[in-house]
Amino acid sequence: MNALLHTLDSISRNGMRHSVAQLGINYGFLPVILVLTYLAFGVLEPRFLTANNALNILKQSSYLIIFAAAQLFPLLTRGYDLSVGMVISMISVASAMIMMAVLHATNDVPLAIVAAACGGFGIGVLVGVINGACVAALGINPFIVTLGMQGVAFGLATTLSGGFPVYNLPDAYSKIFAYSNWLGLPASVATCLIILGIVHIILSRTVFGRSLYLIGASPRAVHVAGLPSHRYNALAYVACACLTSIGALLLTARTASGEPNAGGDFMLKSIAAAVIGGVSLRGGEGRVIHCVFGGLFITVLSIGMNFVRVDGYIQQIILGIVVIAAVYFDQFRRRTRL
Amino acid sequence: MVETHTHVRTPAVQWRQYRRYLVSYGLLPCLLVMLFLLLGFYDERFWRVTNLINVMRNASYLMIISAGQMIVLIVGGFDLSVGGVAALTSVTMALAMVQLRNLIPDALTTVVVLGVLVGLITGFAIGFLNGFVVAILRVNPFMVTIGSMSVAYGVALYATAGVPVYGMPEVFSRNFANLQLFGLPVIVYLTIVILFAVWVAMGSTKLGRYIYAVGSNLHAASLSGVPTTVCIIVAYVASSLLASVTGVLLTARVGSGEANLAQTLMLESIAAAIIGGVSLRGGVGHVGSVALGALLLALVTNGLDIMHINSLFQPIVIGVVLVAAAGLDRIAPTVR
Repeated sequence: MNALLHTLDSISRNGMRHSVAQLGINYGFLPVILVLTYLAFGVLEPRFLTANNALNILKQSSYLIIFAAAQLFPLLTRGYDLSVGMVISMISVASAMIMMAVLHATNDVPLAIVAAACGGFGIGVLVGVINGACVAALGINPFIVTLGMQGVAFGLATTLSGGFPVYNLPDAYSKIFAYSNWLGLPASVATCLIILGIVHIILSRTVFGRSLYLIGASPRAVHVAGLPSHRYNALAYVACACLTSIGALLLTARTASGEPNAGGDFMLKSIAAAVIGGVSLRGGEGRVIHCVFGGLFITVLSIGMNFVRVDGYIQQIILGIVVIAAVYFDQFRRRTRL
Repeated sequence: MVETHTHVRTPAVQWRQYRRYLVSYGLLPCLLVMLFLLLGFYDERFWRVTNLINVMRNASYLMIISAGQMIVLIVGGFDLSVGGVAALTSVTMALAMVQLRNLIPDALTTVVVLGVLVGLITGFAIGFLNGFVVAILRVNPFMVTIGSMSVAYGVALYATAGVPVYGMPEVFSRNFANLQLFGLPVIVYLTIVILFAVWVAMGSTKLGRYIYAVGSNLHAASLSGVPTTVCIIVAYVASSLLASVTGVLLTARVGSGEANLAQTLMLESIAAAIIGGVSLRGGVGHVGSVALGALLLALVTNGLDIMHINSLFQPIVIGVVLVAAAGLDRIAPTVR
């Protein structure tokens, strides 16, 4: 809001041309770059611009946006969650195994799906509580805590099912959570929108959400204000792991199997999406909309590169460079802001 | 107030000091000895010379890469790219050796030396880029090294299409890797030399002291005329070079250039450093303790092997040990 007022003020003072630059400096150029990237791939490969592909982009990006929104919570408190990727793998495998076990025992498909969803979500909560307790109560650096959790989750994801994907999940699971339309939107997109709405309300309307910004900006101020900063800090990791587990359950539905590699590069991508979108690594700055733009940008980039047949390994290189460049420009923007 | 300045040694004060030494210097060696004895009693095969040499060899790789990680941590950064650097070194070196071997089939030693040089130059280049972006462009080291990790793995995988590169001269992949001196692998001596060099460089040179100063307070160091930019770049170059050396040694051991070389190295190197008491806030760290931390991890890994526990469980144990070590470090001051 302040930034908007600032922009309006600068328009009245300096005229339009200067203000465009000011708008970019305040909000980032990402929305513009996103549109340009989309059009550029369209020029290279006209099929990229079809409505079908646009829907595909939305579907693909919905998962990444959920994970970026999850990452937003710890990022606001000056932390991050490196365990996101491997926790996705672990929950994918674990929930699939629960589903198969219940299915074998009772032959009841709805019950199996509910049990798997509850189990997966429960594991997410547990991971979040452990991460949060170590960070907030024991005061261990989030980098160490979540790196350790990443190791644990990686080990569990690869050993639980012997390192193999868990196949033969009931069709109904994929049908409902991946291929059905809710209110005319694909299931993952609809879930993503609901999550974004809830996260937005939590972050902007609740004491917990507002406190996260304060924790990131000045941890001491939260303490002085009499807010339970440790509890809120821990809750940020719980919220992160909960959202991660929802995303992991959706991913499992899409592949119709519990995949030990489901998480793959989501740790890098979720942080990258949030930071490219404009969430500050120094805490206290960032909104849901940033995660949306960041997630869309990375997805457009990777689907676009698939369209023009860029080698998968080259894409990995490009992603690395884009991440570094984005953080550089972001810091440049922050320094330039008046 | 007066009493704290005069050196009155009441029993209570002595006890407190004793405990402080125990926590900061004694805990890790005690843990090592305990683990050493426990593993031996669990299964006497642990005592066998071949197994102990194996532990030392595995600890050596980890000690070298962790010493590099320590330098970056001391200067106040991270290096998440060490695993990627080791993998890329392995690949570029193997590819270079295969190419050179076709060009000059008669001078295999030259081929090996040039190949290793190519590998080390790769490491140097990535380290310099990391340092440049962190120190001069002032980008968050976490994002820089996570990005360069992605780039390094990407290049390594692209150059090999994910397939191991065979065809390095046997002088390197067999003779050098198995070379022993006085009953110990040459790698162990090499590690001792490297650790000693890091110890001297960090403790007794101007640059080393500067790196500590930059890590403990960048602004103060800068105001005191410390060339902070140089220090940060040197730290990242050192870390990458040592990761590169580890890559060279592991490649010799494996016998092929692998883009998937030791994927847990990043986690393990940070774990060894943290267990060795290096602070993530910078300015604190000692190469001797880090070496002990690496030895501890190597012992734990070997212990899991001896107990016939699936090697896929190793990251779980290392993860728990890492968090426990950091937790202990946080609780320790209140114990004092």
